[in-house]
Amino acid sequence: MSANTETVKQGSSALKDKLIAFHSWAGVDDSTLNGGQKLAVKYFMGAVVLFIFQILFGLLAAAQFLAPGFLYDILDFSVNRMIHINAMILWMLYGFIGCTYWLLEDESGTEIVGLKFGVLGFWVLTAAIAVVVLVYLLVQTGAGNDTTIWLINEGREYIEAPRWADIGIVVVMLIFFYNVVMTFSKGQWSGIAGVLTLDLVALAGLYVAGMFYMTNITHEQFWWWWVIHLWVEATWEVLVGVIMAWSLMKILGVSRRIVQTWLYIEVALMFGSGILGLGHHYFWIGTPEYWLTIGGFFSALEPIPLVAMVVHAVYDSGERGFKNLNHPAMAWLIAHAFGNFFGAGVWGFMHTLPQINLYTHGTQWSASHGHLAFFGAYATINIAFFYIAIQHWRGNVWMGAGSQNAWRWKWALALLNIGVLGMTIALLIAGYEQSFIERAIGGSTWGGYFSAQTHPSFMSAMQWRMFFGWVTASGLGLLVWDLLTIGKGETRTAEVITQAE
Amino acid sequence: MLEPVALKDFFITFFSSALIIMAGASYALLFAWSKVKPRLIIKLSAYASYIILLVSVYQLTLAANLDGYWRIISYLMVIGYFFAPIAIWHLCKQTYDEPDLITTLEKDK
Repeated sequence: MSANTETVKQGSSALKDKLIAFHSWAGVDDSTLNGGQKLAVKYFMGAVVLFIFQILFGLLAAAQFLAPGFLYDILDFSVNRMIHINAMILWMLYGFIGCTYWLLEDESGTEIVGLKFGVLGFWVLTAAIAVVVLVYLLVQTGAGNDTTIWLINEGREYIEAPRWADIGIVVVMLIFFYNVVMTFSKGQWSGIAGVLTLDLVALAGLYVAGMFYMTNITHEQFWWWWVIHLWVEATWEVLVGVIMAWSLMKILGVSRRIVQTWLYIEVALMFGSGILGLGHHYFWIGTPEYWLTIGGFFSALEPIPLVAMVVHAVYDSGERGFKNLNHPAMAWLIAHAFGNFFGAGVWGFMHTLPQINLYTHGTQWSASHGHLAFFGAYATINIAFFYIAIQHWRGNVWMGAGSQNAWRWKWALALLNIGVLGMTIALLIAGYEQSFIERAIGGSTWGGYFSAQTHPSFMSAMQWRMFFGWVTASGLGLLVWDLLTIGKGETRTAEVITQAE
Repeated sequence: MLEPVALKDFFITFFSSALIIMAGASYALLFAWSKVKPRLIIKLSAYASYIILLVSVYQLTLAANLDGYWRIISYLMVIGYFFAPIAIWHLCKQTYDEPDLITTLEKDK
C-alpha cells in the first residue's frame, strides 16, 4: 500500500517537474493569471489538441473521396468524418468555455465560486472525450441495438456521443453554468454578464432536446435540429457576440456602453431571426408545409445582425484610428467579422430559400457553407482569444507593431484563411455540379448520384479541396508554433488603454 | 409548395442571393464610411450599392418565383433596409459620448 502511494507521489512529482520545465521553456508565468484564467488555459490547450485532430481526420476523409479504398475496413470514411466533425464542435466548445472562464473574474470583480468543481469538470470532460474517441476508432462495427445508443454511438450526426457521455456533458455544463451564475451573483453583474447567463441557459437546455429517443425519423430530426441549428445559429452566435464585446473593450479600448448597446441589439436580432430560421432545416424532413414559408422568410432576415456588426466595427475602429494592443488578436477579430459575414451570411443565403435548397441540401454545397461559416464565425474568434490569453500568460508582453517573428502569425493567418477559403470554393464547385447533375437533371436518383460523384469536375474540385486542406494544415502547424513561441524573450511591456478622467 | 427554381435560372438565383448580401453590406459599410469621412464619392457609392441591392432583389423574386404577396413582402423588406444603416448610425452616435482614451505603458500605470 505504502509502495503504491510512493509510486503515485513519484509519478505526480515527475509530472510536476515536466510541467515546470514546459513553463520555463515556453516562457509563461502562471503568477500572472487568476484562478479562472488558469482553468481557461487548460481548456485552450484541449481546444488546440482537438483542432489538430479535426484537421488530421479531415485530411483522411478528404483523401478517401479521391481514393475510396484508402484505409478501407481499417479507418473508414464514416469514422474519419465523424471524428472530424465532432472534434470541431468540441474544440470550439472548449474554446468558448475557456474564453468565458478567462473573462469571468475580470468581469465579475471576484474570484470564481466553484473553481475546484470547474477543474474536476475539465478532467472529467477530457477523460470522457478520450474514451469516446477510442470507442469511435475501435468499436464502430456491427449491428446497432438499444445498448449501442448507451455505450457506443447515438447515431445522431454531429452529436454522436453515446448516452453515458451525454449525461456527463450535461453534468459538466451544469458545473460551468453554476460557476458563471454564482460568480456573477457573488461579484457584480453587467450587461455582458446578463447576456452570457441567459445564453448559457439556452445552450445547456437545448442540448437536452437532442437526447429524446424517437423511432419516428421526422420526430427524431425535428428535435435534433433544435440542438444543431439553435446552438450554432442562435446560442453560439450570441456567445461569440459576448466574447467579441469583451475583446473589443480589452484590445481596442471600446467603451462598455457601446459594446453593451450593440450586444443587446445583436442578441435581439440573432434570436429574432435565428430561432425561426430553424425552419430552413425543416423543409424536407416530413414536417408541415408552412415551414417552407417560415424558414424562407426568417432565413432572409438572419444576415441583418451581421450587417449591423460591420457598420459598428467601421465606426469604432475608424474613430480610434485602428490603434490596438495585440496585432495578431486584432487581425483574427477582423477575420472573424469577414468570415462570419461571408460564411454564414453570403454562403448561407445563397442556398436557403426552399426554391433552390430543394437542389442543394445535403450536397457539397452544404459542406462549402459549413467550412466557411464554422471557420469564419467560430474558429477565428477562438484563435483571437488564444492570442489575448498568451499575451497575458507571458507577462503582458508587447504584441504591437514591430514584434519579433511577426511573420509567423501573419503567415499562419494567411495560410489558414487561404486554405479554408480554397476548400470552400472547391466544395462550392463540387456542390454546384452535384445540384445540377444529381438533383436537377438526374432527379435525385441513384443514377444521378453516381453520375455526379464520378464527374470529372467533381473529382477535380475534390483534388483542389485536398490541396487546400494541406494548406490549412500547414497554417495550423505554424499557428501552434507561433502560440508556443510568440512574445518569448520580448522585453517590452504591452500598452494599457484606460479611460481619461 | 413554392415553385422550385427553373433549370435555366440556377445560376441567377445563387448569384442574385449572394449579391443581395454583398450589396446590402456594401451599402451599410459605405454609408457608415461616408459619415466618418464625409466625401461625396463615398456617399454616391453607398447609394449605388443600394441600387444594386434593389436590382438583385428584383432578379431574385423573378428567378425564385416569389409571386403575389411574397413579391410585396420582398419589396417592403428592401425598402425598409434603406433606413436600417441610417438608424444604426444614429444609435452609434448616441452611444459614443465617452471621454477620450489614453494609452499608457504597463509600467507607467
